Amino acid sequence: MNIKNFKPIIYFIPLAVIQLTVIPLIAVDNITPNIIFILIAYYTLMFGQSYGTILGFALGFIFDIISGGLIGASMISFTLSAFIAGYFYSDNKIDFNTKSFFFLLIIFICGSINSFIYAVISNSNTSVNTFYIILFEGLLPGLYTSLFGLPFVIISPKKGLS
Amino acid sequence: MLKFLKRILFQFKEYFLLVVLLVISLSLLSTNEKQQSKHLNSFALQNFSFFSDAINSMTSIFRKDISYAKLKEENAELMLEVNLLRKFSLENEKLRSLIGLKDSSKFPLIPVKVVSKLVTKIQGNFIINKGTGNGIIKGMPVISEKGLVGMIMETTEDCSVVRTLYNSNLNVAVTIQRENVDGVLSFDGKDLIIKNIPTSQDIQVGDRVETSDFSSLFPAYVPIGEIILKKTNDVGLLYNLTVRPFADIPGANVLFVIKIVPSKEINHLEMNLMK
Repeated sequence: MNIKNFKPIIYFIPLAVIQLTVIPLIAVDNITPNIIFILIAYYTLMFGQSYGTILGFALGFIFDIISGGLIGASMISFTLSAFIAGYFYSDNKIDFNTKSFFFLLIIFICGSINSFIYAVISNSNTSVNTFYIILFEGLLPGLYTSLFGLPFVIISPKKGLS
Repeated sequence: MLKFLKRILFQFKEYFLLVVLLVISLSLLSTNEKQQSKHLNSFALQNFSFFSDAINSMTSIFRKDISYAKLKEENAELMLEVNLLRKFSLENEKLRSLIGLKDSSKFPLIPVKVVSKLVTKIQGNFIINKGTGNGIIKGMPVISEKGLVGMIMETTEDCSVVRTLYNSNLNVAVTIQRENVDGVLSFDGKDLIIKNIPTSQDIQVGDRVETSDFSSLFPAYVPIGEIILKKTNDVGLLYNLTVRPFADIPGANVLFVIKIVPSKEINHLEMNLMK
């Protein structure tokens, strides 16, 4: 068993606690960043699509049961968004993908998809406007999440776009 | 043939993996109400609430605190209100004794602290720091000092999950106080809405909304909010009313669980309807 399989799970525990206790304090009109997705996207870009998909599935499952939410909702959204993030994975571009501003773009795209899928699955009210879900449950949380990816880029010594 | 299948499997292994994981997720999604899922959920919540509670007590110093003066002012206002209510209570008691009704308006409150929040635009859930060990059971209403917040959906020994009004899966039977019109309040992902109220009713912006005595899930007359917008539908026969809750649900920190034991059979039926 490789340590790379356990590292994200170790990081996940404090991040999940922060996600459920601290992040609601900085919610803007109920729009919150998803810091767990940043972890998933980071490891997907480091180790590839299959690894990310399984990681998204596993962390989504744990997050669902500890958050008191719908079991399966985060699993599906994390699995699918990690799978999509996996398309950005490249053996030669790991540094560029994870330590440049391109990382923020990936977080924004995949984070928006993640939030959108989660909203669609967990919403039972058919009268909710699709455009509203795309904007307020997809793009804005994705944008907010990508802001939280900034430390990865700023701390990193190699900035692909700088 | 076997070689060909192996090659296909290898070539599209990511897609196969995705499909398998999605199928598992979807099947878990459909077993949410099963007992095994609930046990697993309870076990995880019980363990996780320990961490949440520790972090929550640290972050509570960053929460905005109501000033002492404001509390005093509120206290004075409440004192006046209590006086008035006392007068009504005496009058009510006399009238009730005349028609032989028993008093059923007092409910014990259990103060609880919110330890974690699942904040999304559509699914509002809180985890609170008390559970079955403190007498909380599934279906009990949760209020703040201002009005209704939600309902207990899951309980463990030490914590419980509250489904808030900002959850599209929670529908509440309500009454518009001034006109005594009944309706169903639900969350549409953006606002709290009461749909399909006949335009023949004299509904005004600012009218107070409270829980209806038709509801067996919530005690009657718990304040919920006020109407801030009324829209007529395309045909012009029905209103859709937007309600602003009195309780500050996103900022909720200390809440109260009303310790009522709802009728088991009716509760079970209503809970099934909410699934």
